Amino acid sequence: MADITAPRARRIGPINLRLWLPLFWIALVIAAALFAPLIAPHDPLEQDLMLERLPPWFVAGTEPGYWLGTDSLGRDVLSRMIFGARIALIVSFTAALAACLVGTTLGLIAGFFGGWWDRVISRLVDIWMAFPPVLFAVLLVAVLGTGLGSVILAIAVIDWTRFARVIRAETMVQARMDYVDSARIGGAHRMTTLISEILPNVLPSVIALLTLEMGIAVIVEAILSFVNLSISSDDPTWGAMIAEGRGAIHFAWWVLLFPLIALFLTVLSFSTLGEGLKRHFDPVLQ
Amino acid sequence: MSSLHAHTLDVIKLNIALPNGHRLLRNVSLTLEPGEVRALVGESGAGKSMIGKSVLGILPPNVAITEGEILLEGQHLNMMTPPTRRKIVAQSAALIPQDPLTALNPVRKIGPQIIDPLVRIQGWNAREAETRALDLLDRVHIRDPKRVMQSYPHELSGGMRQRVLIAAAFAPSPRLIVADEPTTALDVTVQKQILRLIRELQQETGTAVLFVTHDMGVVAKISQKVTVLFAGKVMEDAPTREVFTNPQHPYTRALIAATPSYADLERPFSPVPASLIADLHAQIAQDDLLYRGGRI
Amino acid sequence: MLLKTVLTRLATTVVTLFGVAVVVFTLVRVAPGNPIAMMLPPGATEEDIANLTRLYGFDKSLPEQFVIWLGGVLQGDFGTSITLRQPVMELVLGRLPATLELSFMALVIAVALGGTIAVIGARKRGTGTEVGLDLTNGAVLSVPDFLWGLIFVLLFGVLWPVLSISGRVDPRLDIDFTTNFYVIEGLLRGRLDVVGSTLSHMLMPAMSLALPLAAMIAQLLKQSLKEVLHLDYTTLARVRGFSETAVILREALRNAALPTLTLIGVQFTFLIGGTVIVERIFAYEGLGNMAIDAVINRDLPLIQGIVILFAALFIVINLLVDLSYTLLNPRLRHG
Repeated sequence: MADITAPRARRIGPINLRLWLPLFWIALVIAAALFAPLIAPHDPLEQDLMLERLPPWFVAGTEPGYWLGTDSLGRDVLSRMIFGARIALIVSFTAALAACLVGTTLGLIAGFFGGWWDRVISRLVDIWMAFPPVLFAVLLVAVLGTGLGSVILAIAVIDWTRFARVIRAETMVQARMDYVDSARIGGAHRMTTLISEILPNVLPSVIALLTLEMGIAVIVEAILSFVNLSISSDDPTWGAMIAEGRGAIHFAWWVLLFPLIALFLTVLSFSTLGEGLKRHFDPVLQ
Repeated sequence: MSSLHAHTLDVIKLNIALPNGHRLLRNVSLTLEPGEVRALVGESGAGKSMIGKSVLGILPPNVAITEGEILLEGQHLNMMTPPTRRKIVAQSAALIPQDPLTALNPVRKIGPQIIDPLVRIQGWNAREAETRALDLLDRVHIRDPKRVMQSYPHELSGGMRQRVLIAAAFAPSPRLIVADEPTTALDVTVQKQILRLIRELQQETGTAVLFVTHDMGVVAKISQKVTVLFAGKVMEDAPTREVFTNPQHPYTRALIAATPSYADLERPFSPVPASLIADLHAQIAQDDLLYRGGRI
Repeated sequence: MLLKTVLTRLATTVVTLFGVAVVVFTLVRVAPGNPIAMMLPPGATEEDIANLTRLYGFDKSLPEQFVIWLGGVLQGDFGTSITLRQPVMELVLGRLPATLELSFMALVIAVALGGTIAVIGARKRGTGTEVGLDLTNGAVLSVPDFLWGLIFVLLFGVLWPVLSISGRVDPRLDIDFTTNFYVIEGLLRGRLDVVGSTLSHMLMPAMSLALPLAAMIAQLLKQSLKEVLHLDYTTLARVRGFSETAVILREALRNAALPTLTLIGVQFTFLIGGTVIVERIFAYEGLGNMAIDAVINRDLPLIQGIVILFAALFIVINLLVDLSYTLLNPRLRHG
């Protein structure tokens, strides 16, 4: 009884903000990535040892035009962040999509056909879950070699289980529903039933998971860059900037701070959006 | 203020309401003399449980006292800070709850559930408290009190648990017990035993009881006074005998007529007529208007 | 019935462990680049390479290598580290205590912090405080340990430099312990300087690992507490004179704890997994840090050893959680 009034009061302001703020930030990052060469005030790779470790605009002793300061090699932090958004988003979208395709397919198969399919796929998920994800990612990239493709592949190879587990469980629930029986009695092929009847019903969960996974992929890429195992060190990435900033923490904290803020907001946006979608689609939580 | 000559309980023009202003109790007044049993009777939603809850300070969080006074042994409860109020209530009042299945903590043994409040709140020493608990379990006719003290709630039947709860209520020698439909959740055969038990202990100890029920049959068996409630408003307040022999209010008459009698199966019984309910609601709507007008 | 459940669970555990071994072995062997060539100084002859290849058994067929390797693993022999030239087992066991102490400290912080917030949230239910705590929890939850680590580096390494942000213990301290459990052995030996220094180094990485879990615990436990606080026996406790806080701690907490305990069991493995990157951020000398070095140096035997150890740790913890759940839950026990 205590809670009759509370959620209603909460819904009006923050709920909408919780939708619009993340969308706004993600749109901003996408715009930065698309138009990076137009927006960035400097060449992200241009080194100028005369301008090394310039502090950001609000600190005394800076050079105009370098809003967020420069790193130890005199490269413009803001420009590197804008170009870094490209890698972050490419990895985020493609890796999440790949993990989603693999995981959802296996989850659907395991949940719908059951039997040996289910046993093998579930055991595979168990084995995958036994690895610490970060260690697994690092190991995979070491095996595959560094580079954009390897990073994307590694994330997809690791995170398909997130989709497989949830979708398998949901498919099992859906497969027991009446409409599936009636479709089968109507003479529909099993594969047709799976794609035309079950897939649309688990799709909301897939979309919510996909959004969450995009945030996770951004983080994993940053972690790999942080340990210098992502793409070549020439391309600016947030993770590599953070690693550099961690090294120069006592001389140039801004090199760590600003990419960290960008990463923080991006991750928070994707996960807030994903959680919001999950709640929106889940009739129990509504 | 001396509590020596005071009533056990005075409720004076009590109003409680939801946040939207809807009143659940409307100017309810009643008194309880020491050793007296007063039944609060009405249909569900009449607000009868809310009176007991107001006294004990366990109203649901969205319900608040908007006006009125509650005096427990002469002490003004709603002028106290919450901790003081809690202490005073714990020292003079106790509750026998409606559902014995949910009123005992499932992960704690029976013994500590009776003894703990005696030791930690009433300040008894552990030996006294244990002796008292064993004594009371014996007085509520539990066969092996020592074993029951060591049992978990799920090892006892519903009737047994209600006996345990009655023992726990009487243990600190309260001056007032609120019995909130204590037999509703029980089998008919067990109901009679529990009712007899409450009356027995009440008479032995001289504790005043506020007995909440919807059953006029129970009212007749246990109480000396009756307050009949409808939609949070007192319809009639009279000695039990008079209520049954010469009910004043049409709603009271309708309630009595609506009660099936096991003693006299031939006597017809009829539900409370809808026209009467409509009349009463109209009256209450008018009351509310006046009440709001009076406040401006 | 119970025995059958336990045996089935054990059997699947063995299958999973075997699967892990296969995956690790395969992954490491298909890695491009000849690790032997990397071990030798430039200018080494073909013959040197061939000798060393034979020494490490890389000349045999893959299935043969797997059998030999697995046989060794079962006897606790994980081979020799290529870069550090020491038995992998020795290296791994030397670093394990650091990671275990860090994980447990993080767990303790998470439970204490999450539990306290849950109790406060339940105590203040229906107020602005609860809404505020919920929003904070939601935000803390979505930020992974990696980011918390970096945030703490900035906060307590730069903005308010009160804690060391690198290492496990003050290197100036003279430590001649028999084990690497610095906290435990330090306490036993009464070396409070070592304990203090280790704890202060551990605090930030442990906090980074603990925060997301603490938020999860706070959310779930508060929810369970609120459900229990509607029940009659808590009302009765209030009537009997117990304060709201006492009601929560004495009556509600034990009844509300079970779902949270399950959550902690499941999440503890994820927390341990997080040590890999958090140790890296804080240059903490644990297993995870060593693992990343091993990957960067392509030290195959060492990588294999560490990954297998982590996986075994995960699987065993999950097994224990499952079994204790089966044993503790009376409904499952009798069912």
